[in-house]
Amino acid sequence: MADLIVRPDDAPLPRRDARPDVPAVYDTTTPREDSLAERLITTQSPQRPQRTPPIRIEVDGRIVEGFEGQTILEVCRDNGIEIPTLCYEPKLPGFGACRMCVCEVEGEDQPPISCSREAEAGMVVRTQTDELRRIRRTNLELIFSDHNAYCLPPCQNKCPSHIDIPGFLKANAEANWTESTRIFKRTIPFPSVLGRVCPAPCEEHCRRDEVDEAIAIRDSHRYAGDQVIRAMLDEGIDPPLPFERQAPSGRRAAVIGSGPAGMSAAYYLLLAGHDVTVFERDPAPGGMLRYGIPQYRLPKVEVLEAEYESVVRLGGRIVCNQELGKDFTLDDLQNRGFDSVVVAIGCYDTNKLGIPDEDADGVIDGLEYLRTATLGLTYPGHAGSRVVVVGGGFTSMDCVRTSVRQGAKEVTLVYRRDMKDMPAAGEVHEAIEEGVTAIFQAGPTRVITDKKTGKVTGIEFIRMQLGEPDASGRRRPEPAPGTEFVIPCDRVLLAIGQGPDLTWIGPGSDQVEATKNRRLKADAVTFETTRPGVFGAGDVRIGAATVVQAIAEGRRAAYAVDAYLKGNDLTAIRTRQTLAEPQPEFLSIVPFTGEIKEPRYRLKALEPEARNSNYIEYEIPYTRDEAVAESTRCLQCTCEAIGFCDLRRLGIEYGTTLKTLEPQFHQGAGYRSVTENRFTGYNHDYVRDDSHAFILREPSRCIDCGRCANVCAEVVGAACYDFMRIGFDTLVTTPLDMSLNDTPCVSCGRCAETCPTGALMPKPRVLQKYEVDESRCILCGICVDACPYDAVRDSDQFELSHTSREEPMIDLLALASVERETEMSYIRRERDWAERARAEGRLLDQSRLLPVLPPSLVSGNGNGNGNGHGHGHGTGNGSTHAHDR
Amino acid sequence: MGAFLKTPKEWPLVLTGRAAALSGSAGDLDLAVRNGAFEGLRRAVRDLGPTGTIATVASSGLRGRGGAGFPTGEKWRAAANQPAGQRYVVANGYGADPSVRTDATLLAADPWTLVEGITIAAFAIGATEAIVAVRAEDTALVTLLEGAVLAAEEAGFLGDDVLGSGYRVTVTVRPVQGAYMLGEETVLLKALEGKRGQPEQRPPYPTERGLFGRPTVVNNVQTLAAVPWLIREGAQAFAAIGSKASPGTALVQLRGPAGAGIAEVPLGTPLAELVRLAGGIGKRSLKALLVGGPTGGLLPADLLATPYEFDALREVGAHIGSGSIVVADDRACIVDLARLLTKFSADEACGKTIPCRIGLRRLYEIGDRVATGTPKPTDAVLMEDLAHDIVASGLCEHERLATLPFTSGMRYFRSELDDHLLRSTCPAGVCHPIAVGAAATPGSR
Repeated sequence: MADLIVRPDDAPLPRRDARPDVPAVYDTTTPREDSLAERLITTQSPQRPQRTPPIRIEVDGRIVEGFEGQTILEVCRDNGIEIPTLCYEPKLPGFGACRMCVCEVEGEDQPPISCSREAEAGMVVRTQTDELRRIRRTNLELIFSDHNAYCLPPCQNKCPSHIDIPGFLKANAEANWTESTRIFKRTIPFPSVLGRVCPAPCEEHCRRDEVDEAIAIRDSHRYAGDQVIRAMLDEGIDPPLPFERQAPSGRRAAVIGSGPAGMSAAYYLLLAGHDVTVFERDPAPGGMLRYGIPQYRLPKVEVLEAEYESVVRLGGRIVCNQELGKDFTLDDLQNRGFDSVVVAIGCYDTNKLGIPDEDADGVIDGLEYLRTATLGLTYPGHAGSRVVVVGGGFTSMDCVRTSVRQGAKEVTLVYRRDMKDMPAAGEVHEAIEEGVTAIFQAGPTRVITDKKTGKVTGIEFIRMQLGEPDASGRRRPEPAPGTEFVIPCDRVLLAIGQGPDLTWIGPGSDQVEATKNRRLKADAVTFETTRPGVFGAGDVRIGAATVVQAIAEGRRAAYAVDAYLKGNDLTAIRTRQTLAEPQPEFLSIVPFTGEIKEPRYRLKALEPEARNSNYIEYEIPYTRDEAVAESTRCLQCTCEAIGFCDLRRLGIEYGTTLKTLEPQFHQGAGYRSVTENRFTGYNHDYVRDDSHAFILREPSRCIDCGRCANVCAEVVGAACYDFMRIGFDTLVTTPLDMSLNDTPCVSCGRCAETCPTGALMPKPRVLQKYEVDESRCILCGICVDACPYDAVRDSDQFELSHTSREEPMIDLLALASVERETEMSYIRRERDWAERARAEGRLLDQSRLLPVLPPSLVSGNGNGNGNGHGHGHGTGNGSTHAHDR
Repeated sequence: MGAFLKTPKEWPLVLTGRAAALSGSAGDLDLAVRNGAFEGLRRAVRDLGPTGTIATVASSGLRGRGGAGFPTGEKWRAAANQPAGQRYVVANGYGADPSVRTDATLLAADPWTLVEGITIAAFAIGATEAIVAVRAEDTALVTLLEGAVLAAEEAGFLGDDVLGSGYRVTVTVRPVQGAYMLGEETVLLKALEGKRGQPEQRPPYPTERGLFGRPTVVNNVQTLAAVPWLIREGAQAFAAIGSKASPGTALVQLRGPAGAGIAEVPLGTPLAELVRLAGGIGKRSLKALLVGGPTGGLLPADLLATPYEFDALREVGAHIGSGSIVVADDRACIVDLARLLTKFSADEACGKTIPCRIGLRRLYEIGDRVATGTPKPTDAVLMEDLAHDIVASGLCEHERLATLPFTSGMRYFRSELDDHLLRSTCPAGVCHPIAVGAAATPGSR
């Protein structure tokens, strides 16, 4: 008795006047009861016939026109009025779960939701009142209080070059060093070099810190890069290319300077298919990497030259002993047929202290000193001397540690700020271990010389006290009068920063300008100097900076030069770069909970006594297992949906995101994420499911809007998802949280397409790996039909044209606009067609029936007695007549 | 089972009038007919006709007993006027509130009044399908109802030919399994369709697009059970009972420190009367009345004169809800009680909307912070703001009403909340669950 309720059939078929002399006309165009098309008409609001009478409503003081039967939301969208939604799926009727589309209708107390409320003529609607915005903001805050996920991972955001850090760590965790390096090389060509010299700003912001300790990101890519170098040197395997190399363009580019900026510019220009020549003034390429960074930090032959080899293997030419301004000018280059010139000559001009006797005998330029040292030469008279190094950057650190290695009797480092404000703060402990004395908050006032010999005998300092924070956020040092003291010494090494040498600007290299701060004037995005075809990148443009910043400059400059060489509009680069490198906006989210603590694998180092007398690389690299284990610690807090995420967009609009994760002033330690949300409380931490080949499920990012469940059930018909569990623990997921592989999933990707966040995503990293072997293609076109992501298309000439792998393959917008029939809808439409035809009295031609059809059905139909349902009036008659004739 | 509390003689018994006569043999159709069963149906079919029946119900002023108090006549008329090939009547006998047994007790004592009422309703709106939704766990009741429907069908009171009139009304008993949310009409309809029980945005109301998209009247069991009496005795007689705006009687589930039970009371009876019916307050002093079940309001002792009827209760921040009235004496802590009730509502939420799924949980967490002595300085404001926003953006009544324990608590017992918030003391000396708490948790079904 319990199952007696049947879906009614309230429209009995009209009785047809059956006349034997008139051939029956069969309606083959009206969709059948359960066909996809019919269900779209009944369930999909935009498909509603738009022939209903027009109505006018007032929205936000504007009179707009819609049609009777449209919801307020539809009328607004048709008229370009934006009402935020998260759960609204345009293919389906309003669902009403997210409550974001609330609007005010005049004369009603409760604000209705616009996706479900029909517009009525004369309605006065307001969509953006303070009250509505407050409700929406509360809703967003509630969502974020249980949204255990990030947009851009902070590490990637903090990296000047925005490396896909979770990406390469994932490859590392799978011990796939080639893939890891390939991902790395998409933004930085030199993983091993950077694995040794990068200050790793990424690690300071790693979210693993909330669990135990930050991931050793730098050491991880160092290991991966080393494996690729080893494979190259030992087995002759070419290093992986990040992108497919483009066909030769026939354009020529000159790069001046073979430091990190110049070489990365050369690398990406070569990949873009241009012909590149690098000019270097020194006898060997490398710039600061070779002549500024000591051997013990960066082995020159094993690492630097091996990584530069990848540029050479791409066909880059490096011409040494050619100095700009001395051996050639910009005119020369352009006359020689170089279509563009990248100036990346770096900063080699050490700043002056501006104190008396600065040029005395014994005061040495730190860079010059290091240059000698890196050539393998001991600076004359250094052994046994007392050395004072002034400065707190990486150069000063290299100076003190090299001095120790060269046998100086006493090495003192003096820096005018506090230790924590020191750029090279991470390295100072190692220097102290090696025997260096470090003095902070003291600035030099004068150099003391011997009157007779003119040699340095000491240097006088004054104590500094820390004042108000300056532009860099560090407290400004101010001299404290009467606190002068003298350090006796034989040598003073100055390492207080460098500027570029711009003396080459002049005849032959004119039209180029310098800025007020003595830098090469070049645009920050297009890198154009004031001279056409000449670009400036790296330290020469921004002043002495880190290697990673220089490489980021070089890569971005390469994009600009590439666009210039292809004759593209350079101003368009502005937009493209902004899109490609999103500015940070963070969701104020919940901290990680329930992760198993697993401390960081630290690199071991040689004992200080063993390392302070030689130039052997002192850090001992990971073993294979350690490298895998360390990368496995990554929480993969990235989001694949960045740029597509509605939640993020609304979060920004309604001010529930943060510009930075730095703690607010006076707020103490810790990320703001924990404290900013009013509703932070218990939250869910779900397991990520990447068992399916194409669809990645991350329930922690799910906001339970139900769109995937509705689309999957109503449009696709597979019904893989639904709301599961109850109360706060409700989650839209598969039954029993099973893998999508075990559901009726047809891999159509609609769930991922409709997901407003990154909870369901097509897997771009997986898809990138697919290769099409075109030599075997028979142009059947099945792949074009089947691919849910439009990764493969056919062109006008019916030739296969697949998108290149460096472009993002998933065109979500295109996907959204495609109305494609799925397997399920096809089956549903086609099943029982014979029975339906019989019930409606349509003639079934015996000869056209497939032989596999059961004989009972065929004969039953042939007798014209197919009225098996009891509600098809007169169908039996019509059929009989038709058959009899 | 089946014991109704004795009420004063002058209170008319609309719903339970026949219960005493049927005592021990509730399933006996002949006995029921001898006591007046199906007389209303006969009058409706023979004398009034569909339109007349609806007019009679409308003029009696009968309002839905499901909690919202929507005029029944209007609802029937809306469904009847909706053009459709098929209409449905659904009797909501799920009895969502686990601490309330009024509907089940009524059906067990006298199933005929519902069977008759739902047939009248189906006849009036032109529905051929009528569905009685009851708890699947209550197997004895399911059997009793199915037997009653079969017997009535055999006797010709319903089925293909109602009382020989040619009208067809098929009554189906549907045991449904589910959760608290099934009390909401759109949720119940979803469950009957075999989908997950989640509410739909209204409008369109079920009278327009209900079960399977067809016009559907969803009435509480008590509403339908009142219809036969109303038709039999006339609209005037019904309208004379209880208050003017809410005529008729309702079953209340009373619980107090000194007694408990189910009673049929005329609407408009002062709350003080109901407390007396529940055995009074005992030795201690009355602190609060929880009116309306888990989503009800907490009313202080000085509101005891409030009449028990829809509008007056909504005004003071409570509602009839599931018909539950819990009397709490001074051993109860309001914060603790409200926290407990909110947790129940949050845990029973269907999870469809954000304000309900996350908002109610956060409301509970704020209350929990207050009760456990770890509040943030802004928590009182936050609680008020959050409750306001949940009400403003909620989808169904459940989430809006679920804020009532805290909003009414803050309205009438602010000083007690402040004691927790500002002075970290609990005047009741609780902050461990009180006796009434157990009744409101799912464990005590």
